[in-house]
Amino acid sequence: MGLGSFFGKKETPEGAAPAVPTSQDPATLQVKQQIQQELAIANATELVSKVSENCFEKCLQAPFSQGNDPCIDQCLAKYMRSWNVISRTYVARIQNASDTGEI
Amino acid sequence: MDRAKSALIRNNIYPDTPPINSNMSSISQSDLAALSDSSKKEIASFLDSENSKQRVQMQVHEFTNSCFKRCVSSVTSPDLSSQEEECLSNCVNRFLDANIRIVKSLQNVQ
Repeated sequence: MGLGSFFGKKETPEGAAPAVPTSQDPATLQVKQQIQQELAIANATELVSKVSENCFEKCLQAPFSQGNDPCIDQCLAKYMRSWNVISRTYVARIQNASDTGEI
Repeated sequence: MDRAKSALIRNNIYPDTPPINSNMSSISQSDLAALSDSSKKEIASFLDSENSKQRVQMQVHEFTNSCFKRCVSSVTSPDLSSQEEECLSNCVNRFLDANIRIVKSLQNVQ
């Protein structure tokens, strides 16, 4: 899976007017792409570090004489699903607060 | 290995090394200097919107880290149980409730 497809994906629905007018200037496009790529890398780096920390804790025990790859694989899947649940809940909450004029 | 992947591994395993892309190596200084005012404005507002999206993303990383620790007790399958899923969702909502309450209390103290 490409990093760009995971964290750098466009969230604007098809056909929706873009918030910012887009130019065709190649240098501008390149700057934007580089910004998005760096953000995607930062997000992926953060995810890898958090999953490693959490799954190491859940799957391995001192004195760490053996690994537990099946647990690590399941834990990664579980962490990604958790990430999605939390993202959905948080975004819904932000949406809700903005609809009711709270923020 | 592509650039993004090698940067990812580098950032995680050798966090003290400067990020590979930090020197803007792929965009020349002269290209940047030649950007028109409207392009600069466009980039600035693009940065603003990416920034606010990124703040949400970082919050999600934080919430997932702390709620996963509290809600997922054991790993026996790759799927979340319905209790775990509910716990994760409640965890975020209660955190935000607490956060809002604290902000309001502090506003009253002032």
